[in-house]
Amino acid sequence: MRAPADLDRSSQALLVDRLTKVYGDGTKALDELELRIPAGCFFGLLGPNGAGKTTLIGIVSGLVRSGAGRVFVFGHDAIADLEARLLVGVAPQEVHLDRFLTAREVLSYHGRYFGMGKLEANARADELLDVFDLSAKARTKPNRLSGGMRRRLLIARALVHRPRLAMLDEPTAGVDLELRHELWRYLRRLQSREGLTVLLTTHYIEEAEALCERVAFIRAGRIAAEGTPAQLAELFGGARLEDAYLEAMRA
Amino acid sequence: MSSTELEIRQRRGTVALAGREARRVLSLWTQTILPPVLTAALFLAVFGGALGGRIRHIEGLPYLSFILPGLLVMTVAAQAFANCATSLFQAKNEGYIEDVLTSPLRPRQVALSYLTGGLLRGLLAAVIVAAIVLPFAHEGAQPGLAALALIVTGLVFATLGVITGIWAETFDQQAFIANIVITPLALLGGVFYAAHTLGGPWSTLTRLDPLYYLVDATRAGLTGTHQSPPWVSLAVTAAVAIATFSLATTLLARGWRLKP
Repeated sequence: MRAPADLDRSSQALLVDRLTKVYGDGTKALDELELRIPAGCFFGLLGPNGAGKTTLIGIVSGLVRSGAGRVFVFGHDAIADLEARLLVGVAPQEVHLDRFLTAREVLSYHGRYFGMGKLEANARADELLDVFDLSAKARTKPNRLSGGMRRRLLIARALVHRPRLAMLDEPTAGVDLELRHELWRYLRRLQSREGLTVLLTTHYIEEAEALCERVAFIRAGRIAAEGTPAQLAELFGGARLEDAYLEAMRA
Repeated sequence: MSSTELEIRQRRGTVALAGREARRVLSLWTQTILPPVLTAALFLAVFGGALGGRIRHIEGLPYLSFILPGLLVMTVAAQAFANCATSLFQAKNEGYIEDVLTSPLRPRQVALSYLTGGLLRGLLAAVIVAAIVLPFAHEGAQPGLAALALIVTGLVFATLGVITGIWAETFDQQAFIANIVITPLALLGGVFYAAHTLGGPWSTLTRLDPLYYLVDATRAGLTGTHQSPPWVSLAVTAAVAIATFSLATTLLARGWRLKP
């Protein structure tokens, strides 16, 4: 029989327990951070630059060495158990795509690195190229795609191996308004189609309001507040999430 | 998911990454295969042809037959090293290594995949050179021994390439290792001369060079002539390959210079 603590862990898409990360230069990026993201939730993480958003995503996905504390993805230890990697898809903030491969191959090789068979990975690549309106560019190498297309390909790559938790690190940072709304449309579509949990980090309050069921404010490596946008607005005595955010950052 | 299913997925991932590395070697053949083949062919033409007429025999062998094994070892060593160092450095420098770092592959599987590309490049170049030159050289005594020596050469230098790719933070650093370590090792490895003909420290340096033993074992395989027991040479260099592979795996596991 599983202990209550185990059941609690596995019911959460992401459970972060007192996670601390200090970089080599002494910067404390995360300071005993605690976070729970329920399965199936579209979750927003809002915070200023340097608050720890990217570090948290990096540790969960294996891109950053962990510090003290524990991280569980659907009950699997994200640091020690490689099976957890299969459950996570990540679209980092910076777009880095293998320049030796075509757009279709970027997706299919990713699927195969995660253990999909070749035929299955190719079929999944075609499916995602279609979802993200990239089918016409299937044979094009990433460096010949527009910025918006590369961003879409990066998000598609995160989904190839059918993760249960997708982590999108500022997917709309530095993109124009038109593309931002286009990406919102893709993000809504992917959550409804794939039925997955989404962790979205963003600087844009309106983005979190438009997309997220729950939101956490992160400041100096700690969660300052967490709840639905309406709860947070009420908690900080403002009418809008933006007021709550500004209040939380000032506190 | 059972541990067996995870292992199957990891094996598939390893095959895919190794396939990606092999594909890179083949698609860039004008940069990965053609130059070393031309270089080795020129070495053989100049040293075997021009000097071979004056230097009749070394260790009882025509000069062309004497230098061919060493040139094959040099080709495998340099190309296996260059491929692994460059491919891993590119992936790290351009950031797309995150695709591999976020995958469920174990560190040893990542190392093995990169090593596959290095081995393919080195051995393919060597096979082409051998196919061109062997008809004019001494007949093979134990081709299996020569092939084994070349594979061990590839393993040692491919893993050194993986370590260099992890370590290097600039193209200059990567080139530095190739110029300061790999080239001197190749030139001191007894490719063009018999070690005992050198005096003083050079003879000692040659005998400290792991490439010397690999050249000697390959020469034993291709000509039957050797200065050290070939199986001892292979055993020692295989131990070096295991040590360098372990180091590469450890560095990947720690995320040294790959993860902040």
